[in-house]
Amino acid sequence: MSATRRMGLGALALGLLAPFVGEPRRAVSGALDFDAIARAIDDGADHVSARQLASWIRARKPGLRVLDVRDAKAFAEDAIPTAENLTIDRLVGAVFKPGETVVLYSQEGAHAGQAWVLLKALGVADAVFVPGGLADWWEEVMSPVLPADMPVAERETAADLSRYFGGFPQVGLVVSGGAPAPAPTPYRRRGC
Amino acid sequence: MNELLVTAAIGIAFGWTLERAGLGDPPKLSGQFYLRDFTVLKVMMSALVTAMLGAFWLGRLGLVDTGRFYVPETFLLPQLVGGLVFGLGFVLSGLCPGTSCVALASGRGEGGATVLGLLAGMATVGLAFPSLEGFYGATPMGAMTLPHLTGLSYGAVVAVVTVSCIGLLAAIGQWEARR
Amino acid sequence: MPRPYVDPYLSGVSLGLVLLGCFALSGQGLGASGAFANLASHAAGAFTKNAWIDGYLSRGWASWTVVEVCGLIVGAGLSAWLAGRLSVARPPAPRGRLLAATAGGVLMGVGAALARGCTSGLALSGGALLSVGAWVFMLALFAAGFLAAPLLRRLWA
Repeated sequence: MSATRRMGLGALALGLLAPFVGEPRRAVSGALDFDAIARAIDDGADHVSARQLASWIRARKPGLRVLDVRDAKAFAEDAIPTAENLTIDRLVGAVFKPGETVVLYSQEGAHAGQAWVLLKALGVADAVFVPGGLADWWEEVMSPVLPADMPVAERETAADLSRYFGGFPQVGLVVSGGAPAPAPTPYRRRGC
Repeated sequence: MNELLVTAAIGIAFGWTLERAGLGDPPKLSGQFYLRDFTVLKVMMSALVTAMLGAFWLGRLGLVDTGRFYVPETFLLPQLVGGLVFGLGFVLSGLCPGTSCVALASGRGEGGATVLGLLAGMATVGLAFPSLEGFYGATPMGAMTLPHLTGLSYGAVVAVVTVSCIGLLAAIGQWEARR
Repeated sequence: MPRPYVDPYLSGVSLGLVLLGCFALSGQGLGASGAFANLASHAAGAFTKNAWIDGYLSRGWASWTVVEVCGLIVGAGLSAWLAGRLSVARPPAPRGRLLAATAGGVLMGVGAALARGCTSGLALSGGALLSVGAWVFMLALFAAGFLAAPLLRRLWA
């Protein structure tokens, strides 16, 4: 029997056996890696601040993919630039290319956090979420209150980033008497 | 750096295999469409069956995680039309994008000509993209696979594809023997 | 005398194993047109910007496929040299065939851009993972090839 025929018969055998052995296991990453997830949550590798995300978007970080897990109506009203709308139920069937950094956000962060665990269970390695969600985006990027005692260079960078996205950075002004102006009260308690 | 080396090594192995099979030779490749030389189908079918069976069985044995393999997204209409246009170009040039690089590396003029054409064609699409965008994104189906589409199990589709490909190769062998 | 080509079935199985290794190591299949799309985008990006071009610009020059295709050229050149195929005195390709090759390249460039892949990246790599689009592309490719071939008989006579 020629080598060619033997290869062909081998392939046929493997192919015909395939229907009877079940599905390939997705288990290796399909199973939750509890330790890795706990470690990521512990050391903060699970999330990214709204301001950091803004600088990634501006720098066109390669492979960045921003996902809005809210419903289509909320997404249509207001969303982070470059984001795509992918509700949690559609997340399961989504495809993530190797090398993609997936950033999840929701209105206030809880749903994005849950979606993050889901992605980890699906084996997406490089995923993070914005803890305060869209609310954080507004507070940290679109209308940040930059304390007057912040180093000037740092303050300028933050203000510049805000203006890039059409935001209105406010600097806690120092009035003539030397006492800092009362900072506008944030409209939401800062979480996380 | 390490990743870069791995990628380059994969490319070297890829180019080596194509060249050894004779796939840098335009008359040989175009011979497929005149039923003179079946190298293209033979190499492609056996590579496809090998990789498909390998992915299925290694995944089944838990040695690799097939869930992490990137499945190209399906956009039915642009891929159908793209395939038709591509096939016409394939006969004209006697090379495809990968094999044009092989032909170029083995010092054939057709390789260089095809490479230049490919760059021009791609750049044309890039420049004309605003008017092509609607068609480019038409009929999206996501990472649709044959098991998903047909409702058959992964293993059953693997069996069907294996039998069809090996059957086709066996038929080609018989036809060649008779001539 | 150059060495004879390797048996096509053996080549096919080796290619399949290379593809399998590629999947295991990088998570994606072998590709070629992606490198052309990337370089063409960088050239076209000098004149205009749009979603397609930006998609490649954001990955930079040295994307995965560009590095891989550079390796491909090195590997193919090495193989041709060691098999004695570089030193063979070949008559230069006739001008008609060079023109046809350029035109074919343009068509394949357009086709691969529309389909998001070529024979290696879409048909072979996607086909092995049973992607529907990959199989549609592969069948369309061979259908068009076999239909067009009789019209181009003179080119390959």
